[in-house]
Amino acid sequence: MTMRQTFLLICFATLIPLALEPNGYYIRILTLALLFAALGQAWNIVGGLAGQMSLGHAAFFGLGAYTSTLLLIHFGISPWIGMLAGGVLGGIAAFLLSLPTMRLKGHYFALGTLAFAEVFRVIANTWSSLTGGPVGLSVPFSEPSLAMLQFNETRSYYYLMLAAFVAVSMIFVIIVQGRLGYRLRAVKEGPDAAEVIGVNTTRVKIHAAVISGSLTAMLGTLYAQLNFFFDPDTVFGALQISIRIALIVIVGGIGTLFGPLLGALLIIPLEEFANVMLADRAAGLSQLTYGALLMAIVLLQPQGLAEFAKKLAARISGKVMSSKTEART
Amino acid sequence: MNTPLLSVEGLSKRFGGLQALSDVTFAVNTGEIVGLIGPNGAGKSTLFSTLVGLHRPSAGKVALNGRDVTGLRPHVIAANGLTKTFQNVSLFAGSSVLDNVLIGGLVHSRVASARGFAMDCLKRVGISDIAQRSAGSLSFPERARVEVARALCTRPKVLLLDEVMAALNTAEMDEVIGLIRDLRKDGLTVVIVEHHMRAIMSVCDRIFVLNFGQLIADGPPAHIARHPEVVEAYLGREHDV
Repeated sequence: MTMRQTFLLICFATLIPLALEPNGYYIRILTLALLFAALGQAWNIVGGLAGQMSLGHAAFFGLGAYTSTLLLIHFGISPWIGMLAGGVLGGIAAFLLSLPTMRLKGHYFALGTLAFAEVFRVIANTWSSLTGGPVGLSVPFSEPSLAMLQFNETRSYYYLMLAAFVAVSMIFVIIVQGRLGYRLRAVKEGPDAAEVIGVNTTRVKIHAAVISGSLTAMLGTLYAQLNFFFDPDTVFGALQISIRIALIVIVGGIGTLFGPLLGALLIIPLEEFANVMLADRAAGLSQLTYGALLMAIVLLQPQGLAEFAKKLAARISGKVMSSKTEART
Repeated sequence: MNTPLLSVEGLSKRFGGLQALSDVTFAVNTGEIVGLIGPNGAGKSTLFSTLVGLHRPSAGKVALNGRDVTGLRPHVIAANGLTKTFQNVSLFAGSSVLDNVLIGGLVHSRVASARGFAMDCLKRVGISDIAQRSAGSLSFPERARVEVARALCTRPKVLLLDEVMAALNTAEMDEVIGLIRDLRKDGLTVVIVEHHMRAIMSVCDRIFVLNFGQLIADGPPAHIARHPEVVEAYLGREHDV
């Protein structure tokens, strides 16, 4: 995709809310999808570029949500600063997690990171004096303002999440094109060969993990500000956060720039509609339908939606080209 | 210049009950082309892997230009000027040929200048025309050359070539032999593991023979070809038949 196309896409995304009710149901789903697209892009740095299937990103996400919210509740500190503090803590947590999981591969890495996030969930549930325990935390609402990262309309949050997605994607692109990106791909495709030609594989993996963890924590703050309420299971939950993020990127196209966006735009609405339409028909029917649809997508398009979109675009432009040549002859 | 460029003393490597290398001692001087031969399973690839730091030696010492590099991580050893190619060829299959080589250049420079140097390395080994192709789509001889270019891009002082001539025809082999001679003119020191005797005899100044993890002979090619233990290691004893 060229610069111009990307620019047009962002313009289009900016105009979408004008067609929707500013506090309506659809813009809320899109806002959530953009947040998860940003989370997917942050995860993509570790999962896509380094090829490490993290199932523990909820740890960083929840850390970010709790850090900024607790700072706001107890000290009245702006969530912007809370977000930075959460980002630092998320980076530190990612660094500490990297030390023991560094040498793990494939399923073992996934299990190790999954366990790490579960520890956070259990701590948040039991350390009630700090976290409020299973009851959760409510973000105090003062007045709508950008400084306090609080708004009346979902539309404002939509733009916030759009900006977050664009920012994380830009960081992703910078990494891909720079030294770190080349080294990460080498680590992913042949760690021994990478070492022998001078790549410090340990350091490269830690760098990726820290950037990814830090960004994920910052997005946790945005989630808290959007929802105004969360409990340990919603921000530290494996299914709610960790697996959902990984799934979005896998369905969308792992390691690709537009994979997380495509995956989020498919999965978040799909979850929502399966819930709304089928939840009261029979117990578990919505989950069953959702699961079946996901399996169908993964089976039909194992390379991810980004690859499918690329092929589709190539076919369309191919047809245009051939019809042009036909017209000429 | 009394210090050899690469010196190995009493190097041993044990994998569980298997003694892969035992008490290997040798030295390679600047500008030499040295061959390493031996029957299958003699420990040639293990020796290379241990020298570059992929295996930690059980005992012994490896020094590069007088500096002890024993037990250091491979990327540190690479930055000090010792690297190798892989016998089974381990390119980054999802990346282009140019990107594969470029990564080697990142030891010393940023992406933009590494790209330029990577192009030079591809020209050096004669494959600049396939720079943009995916490494996964290449033929074996092409991949072996990309391996060499990628190793060259780290600007090594000593380059260990592990069977880069496997699956080459005679003409291609002559090209690679010419390339190795040219590299020496540029000041590179080369150690080669190779099964093609013609190739190794024609290009090497000296040959080491490894058998069952032990160094059994060391000398100029003509001497090695007549060495009784070498003949025995390769062909078996006369009365074994």
